Amino acid sequence: MVPPQYYLLLSAAVFCIGLFGILTRRNALLFLMSVELMLNAANINLVAFSYVWGNVTGQTFGLFTMAIAAAEVAVGLGIILVLYRDFGDVDVTKVTTMRW
Amino acid sequence: MAGIFDFVPAIVLLPFVSFLVALAVGNRLPKGGAFAGIVATAGSFLLSVATFFTVSGGQTYNQTIYTWANGLDGAVTLTFGLLIDPLSAMMLVIVTLIATLVHVFSLGYMNDEGETGLPRYYAGLGLFTASMLGFVVADNLLMAFMFFELVGLCSYLLIGFWFREPGPPSAAKKAFLVTRFGDYFFLVGVVAVFATFGTAAFAGSESFPHLAEQALHGEHSVNTFGFEPRTWFTIVGLLVLGGVVGKSAQFPLHTWLPDAMEGPTPVSALIHAATMVAAGVYLVARMYGFYALSPTSLSIIALIGGFTALFAATMGVVKREIKQVLAYSTISQYGYMMLGLGGGGYIAATFHLMTHAFFKALLFLGAGSVIIAMHHNENMWEMGGLKDKMPVTYYTFLSGSLALAGIVPFAGFWSKDEVLYETLVHGLGGSPILLVAYAMGLLAVFFTGFYTFRMVLLTFHGEPRSQTARDPHGVHWNVKGPLVVLGILAATAGLVNMTPVAELTGLEIEFLHQWLGHGIEGLTSHHYVELLESQAGYHAAEIGPIVPGLVSLALALAGAGLAYFLYNDAEPTEHTDKLGGAKTVLYNNYYQDEYQVWLANSLVQPFSRGADKFDQGVVDGVVNGVSSVSLLSGNRVRRIQSGVVSNYAVLLTLGLTALILGFGLLGGWF
Amino acid sequence: MTTKPELNLGSHLVPGLAAVALFAVMAAVFLTASFPEPQGFANDASVVASIGYAMFDLDFGGISSESFLVAFEIIDIVLVAALVGAVMLARREPGTTTVKLVSDGGRRLRETLSKAENGETEDES
Repeated sequence: MVPPQYYLLLSAAVFCIGLFGILTRRNALLFLMSVELMLNAANINLVAFSYVWGNVTGQTFGLFTMAIAAAEVAVGLGIILVLYRDFGDVDVTKVTTMRW
Repeated sequence: MAGIFDFVPAIVLLPFVSFLVALAVGNRLPKGGAFAGIVATAGSFLLSVATFFTVSGGQTYNQTIYTWANGLDGAVTLTFGLLIDPLSAMMLVIVTLIATLVHVFSLGYMNDEGETGLPRYYAGLGLFTASMLGFVVADNLLMAFMFFELVGLCSYLLIGFWFREPGPPSAAKKAFLVTRFGDYFFLVGVVAVFATFGTAAFAGSESFPHLAEQALHGEHSVNTFGFEPRTWFTIVGLLVLGGVVGKSAQFPLHTWLPDAMEGPTPVSALIHAATMVAAGVYLVARMYGFYALSPTSLSIIALIGGFTALFAATMGVVKREIKQVLAYSTISQYGYMMLGLGGGGYIAATFHLMTHAFFKALLFLGAGSVIIAMHHNENMWEMGGLKDKMPVTYYTFLSGSLALAGIVPFAGFWSKDEVLYETLVHGLGGSPILLVAYAMGLLAVFFTGFYTFRMVLLTFHGEPRSQTARDPHGVHWNVKGPLVVLGILAATAGLVNMTPVAELTGLEIEFLHQWLGHGIEGLTSHHYVELLESQAGYHAAEIGPIVPGLVSLALALAGAGLAYFLYNDAEPTEHTDKLGGAKTVLYNNYYQDEYQVWLANSLVQPFSRGADKFDQGVVDGVVNGVSSVSLLSGNRVRRIQSGVVSNYAVLLTLGLTALILGFGLLGGWF
Repeated sequence: MTTKPELNLGSHLVPGLAAVALFAVMAAVFLTASFPEPQGFANDASVVASIGYAMFDLDFGGISSESFLVAFEIIDIVLVAALVGAVMLARREPGTTTVKLVSDGGRRLRETLSKAENGETEDES
């Protein structure tokens, strides 16, 4: 039996790698990929605790998360397209219209 | 109880409607809306007469009409209501009658003279009448105060009617500010009445005079703020008296009234006879049950009255303009009313209020007629000889003058005599301070006779002293009509209460005594007499009214005779130089204006300046400081909103980290 | 010729330290926390079959679970909505001009206004 700590550490690592990507990258597409990583870190958690409690609810939630992630990517890509159309770039640091 | 009392609100509302009509469509009506005003005031007059007869049948009315602030849990309830008792019914008739006559007279004075802005004028008259009527029927002190202020506002509007000339606006401002100064005290007094009694009703078992009386008997406890009840009631009474002194032009707040002569003459008649100035005295009479509890207040009222009567009469002696003489006579006559009220003569004062309303309205309208004839020249030294040219005006004016001077049997004699008599008997009956007031009042009778006949002789007798006096402008029926009505009233109104005659013949002809003796319990003259005896220690000495009456009549005749002796030449000369130094003082009205201006400049102004500095510096400084601090900090903090997504993400991450750390440390996870 | 991927080091990596810090905190929390012994799944039960049954509220699965039919349907709708939204966002509409948002807190507007006002007061004074 693998103790849950390992799963949690794995999940935290994946999450923080995704977060690192968001913090350091400027390309909106890379943002989307990083967000996927973070979502899947959450999935790892769900599956891990499903295993801990002997209940498939967590696994089902994982499936739902993937479906939501798909929807999110669809909207995200739409936003990126609009971004590119309006600003001619997908560099998120250039788009600063929504400040003060 | 369906009946005439259901129409009492209409008495007030009709002139108000005429105000609205004159204001809205006055330009399109013939005569600038005059007829609307005449119809409305005449309607009010008829309703008032009907009310008067209903009241004389023994009915009274004391009803709350509208509650506009409902107090919960013992808080005060603010209402509008009607109080119709003999006093207010009588006043309603006087006010509506004079307002009607003034409206008619205005046709001659304003319309025929081709004045502009007539809708404004008639709207002002309508509102003025309406607010005075509302004041008269008010059943509580707060409502009375509100209409009191409206009356002040209307006088401002009407005195300043000719606002394009320099004089009237300044006079209007002065009238407004001086009376407002008194009204501040009145307002404080109203609040004090509410705080003390929790009600401001005039009549009934829950009225404040009644509660005050009970408090003095120890039957009811009121909040007197740590004072003895009687002391506190004196303070409250004097606060309210501040408003009275301002409105009724008593010393030292009388200075606005002579300046108010800048307004149109019919307005002066309305102000002096029926509305504005009468309001103050009426207020004292209305809450007489409260003043009667405090001998101190009564003495102060009597002293103010007596002093004002004498003081104003001496100033009237030297004036050149006919309206100025009348203005000072008004101040003096209202002094008599105050003297009567303070001297325990409630009926006498009310009587004088009534007769004065008639003969002063008459004198002002007569003066207005003269002014029309003289092409708006008011200087008496350029008149003369008008007796033959305008007989109607002359004889009515003479009737009013005899009434004013107090010559038997004209109205003023009976009422003034009774005022003096009441003061004298109460003074001799154990209140010696009243004798001082009585002496001043008695002395003023002489001056009154003198200035009245000086005015009459200079205006109407002798030879014409100017071109306009030789060929005066004619006046129409709309001027003569009101004069005749008032002339008859001035001659006869005194007959309703001939106390000396009643004393001599033993006849029951003191109708006013009977009239004011019935009505709502606690508001009758009998009740007031009881209060005066038990609370204020006023006892009547046993003196017949004949001798004092003869004394004052002799003095009035002496004054009139001196005037006749000095001024009944074909070409009268000025005798004011004989007064020497006193002349200058009198011409300058005892330097009252200068003194008050000095007071305002050297005391009030520095104080206000200091208050202004405090306001600008400290109060505004704090407010501005708070706002500029938040503006500055907001300006800095908003820089965080860089618009770069990565920065937000960093902040989020750091926040989450800090949160987990915080929870972990506090919750002991590590 | 192919280029080797190079490690792009620089100051733009500084914000990443926040992520590293978060990882450190989380790891510290996880490693010190105590968990119950995992129960695991029965050897003969099929996890995939149980998930399938749970999604349609059918009670045939060997492993216990809540029922998810409503959630399933809602996710369905969300997916469709996201699809439509994405298409709407991405579609280039002919003839539309893009307007940049005025999102400076009204500063530009205020400056314009105050400039106009000053101009007027200068005229008066």
